[in-house]
Amino acid sequence: MRPSTLLRLAVAGTATDTVRVVLTALSAALAALAGLAALTVLAIPTPPPVDEGDVRWSDQYASQLLVEPGLRGGTAFALLLLTVPVLALAGQCARLGAPARDRRLAALRLAGATPGQVTRLAVGETGLAALLGTAGGTAIYFGVREAFDTPDGQGRLALPTDVLPAPGAFAAVLLGLPVVAGLATALMLRRVTVGPLGVVRKQRRERGPRPWAGVLIGLGLVAFAAIGPIDRWYATRDTQPPEWLTPALLTGGGLAALVGVVVGTGWISYVTGRLLRRWARRPATLLAAARLTADPWAGSRTFAALLAAVLLGAGAAGLRAYFEAAGDLERRGGGGLAGTDDFYLSTMDLVDLAVAVAMVVAAGGLVVALVEGVTARRRAYAALVATGVPAATIGRSIAWQALAPAVPAVALALTVGLLLARGLFGTPTSGGGTVEFCDAAEQLCNDPATRAQYTRVEVEPLVSRTPDVPLEHVAWLGAGALAAVLVTVAVGLLFLRPGTAVEELRAT
Amino acid sequence: MTYLQARGVVRSYGPTPALRGVNLDVAEGEIVAVTGPSGCGKSTLLHCLAGILRPDAGEVLWRGERIDTWSEAARSRLRRSTFGVLFQFGQLVAELTAAENVALPLLLAGTGRREARTAALGWLDRLGVADLADTRPGEMSGGQQQRCATARALVTEPRVLFADEPTGALDTLTGEQVLTRLVRLVREQGTSIVLVTHEPRIAAYADREVVLRDGVVDHDGLGLDVPLAGGHR
Repeated sequence: MRPSTLLRLAVAGTATDTVRVVLTALSAALAALAGLAALTVLAIPTPPPVDEGDVRWSDQYASQLLVEPGLRGGTAFALLLLTVPVLALAGQCARLGAPARDRRLAALRLAGATPGQVTRLAVGETGLAALLGTAGGTAIYFGVREAFDTPDGQGRLALPTDVLPAPGAFAAVLLGLPVVAGLATALMLRRVTVGPLGVVRKQRRERGPRPWAGVLIGLGLVAFAAIGPIDRWYATRDTQPPEWLTPALLTGGGLAALVGVVVGTGWISYVTGRLLRRWARRPATLLAAARLTADPWAGSRTFAALLAAVLLGAGAAGLRAYFEAAGDLERRGGGGLAGTDDFYLSTMDLVDLAVAVAMVVAAGGLVVALVEGVTARRRAYAALVATGVPAATIGRSIAWQALAPAVPAVALALTVGLLLARGLFGTPTSGGGTVEFCDAAEQLCNDPATRAQYTRVEVEPLVSRTPDVPLEHVAWLGAGALAAVLVTVAVGLLFLRPGTAVEELRAT
Repeated sequence: MTYLQARGVVRSYGPTPALRGVNLDVAEGEIVAVTGPSGCGKSTLLHCLAGILRPDAGEVLWRGERIDTWSEAARSRLRRSTFGVLFQFGQLVAELTAAENVALPLLLAGTGRREARTAALGWLDRLGVADLADTRPGEMSGGQQQRCATARALVTEPRVLFADEPTGALDTLTGEQVLTRLVRLVREQGTSIVLVTHEPRIAAYADREVVLRDGVVDHDGLGLDVPLAGGHR
């Protein structure tokens, strides 16, 4: 097959396919933007020290997040975390228009396309969309650089527009995203057999999901909680832990917990479906129960991006609670962190803003997933309506399908996010050290021969302040997530009325 | 010369047997109708012969070489280059025009777009639907779609054409028109046809009729009580 044929067949599709390509490109653009922003922050050079103990700050920037070298890693990490819901959105977009695409791929197989050619077509479509999106994201990146490249009255820049990421890192983002998107598509197609007679999806398992996701969550929590003790263990030996250890524990633990929450939603959906089936008496709830047990992974797919955002938000709330507790402790001790308390809390405002952006992206993904679900099952819904089931009953059933697993899943994500933050940052403490006092005149105290005679050592009492559970913050976060689910269900139901028209039974 | 052979072909769907040891020979240029009641295994036999399905046991030979052991990709290439496949429906790519659909097997084989389009237009013309070259399947009638599908099945000038109820979705008159044209074209090319149908009138176009019953060959030869239709046989 020639490249031009591959291109023509890859872009052949319906309006739904076009929407999928556009959304995939949009996701890639957002991911590229976040990745390039993170790399730019990391590319800021740290000035050489002038004197011993000199503070090596980059004073050319207005934001303290960019000025302090110690904060830049965290800023870049937060920017990279934003790509998680964006990539989850891309994953949800991949399912958009799946039935029509399956029919097209099967027809191509019937016309003589080999399995490899069909895979190349699907990978080509996603890769091309991701490449366009990445190019768009890069263009936006340079546009923003141009727009913000003017210093303020004090000669400081709002953004690091004076540095560029290393060429290798730049190329890794530009080429890596399309490659990763293509590979992800190929990986998804491994569970799918596209034959000339149609598309067959391999059954994941005969039995319902098991709560093994709890193990992943546990591993994530243990990894985060281990960072502090490991640092202290190395400190007692006057050595430093290997440089890779803390980032590996953070990344691995965070991913394990996130995947655990998302996969665990499959189990939650299944259990919720079984409970509903046992206790429900109304047709809508019985229909929802049947769907939840028949395809429990739909919940994982639908809520993946939202749960990622909620987990990040809860972690940020836990971190804010830690800063508040630390500030409170220092204020009681007089000084210390109190002066910089506002800085850290205003930094957390930025993190909360990032979480809000992630929630909006996730809500977009929810709309995509719900509308796709309604569209994919329109014939089944039309058949139900044709047999006398009111459309309102189907609407309520869809609402139950979304909300019944969403409530416990959001609660789980909030809990895990808080526990991750608590495990990582622990309880702020002060004191515990020793202070020497000299109870004599300055001359006697300064003389090494007499100093010891007049010196007494006092142990500072160890004071700790357990961070409060940020109930209000968490409640707002949970309510926001569930409100997003409700709104998206309402949007999805707008598509139900045309979808349940009896004429759909005649559609191919 | 025997082109295609099935030797003791067995195929089940889970616990349900569809074919229980079928033997069948198809000679060069021969039109064989496979008939029988619903669920007797007609389509399954056709799919096994065309390499779409792998038999659970037995052999399928093309010019004396076993093809049932070939890889999925190799069997796809065989279907693309040597076999043609024509189904009742669901075979055209809805998003492509008629000319693109007909050119598809050539394009997939690496033929240039211009060359493939020229060949496609020629076959659309021979089937009387050249004016629909730039029309998508959704804008065509069932008969027009089936003519396009026939053009696509013949564009590679296959040695064997597998047709599964090719007129099943058409009215009697249109079905007869499509089939008459199809048979005339394959006779010109010396192509063999394996034609699955449950309609005696369609089976009457064949040189030989194989009747399946409960997954085994019940009759192999001239038609049973089928009236000879207009000198087709």
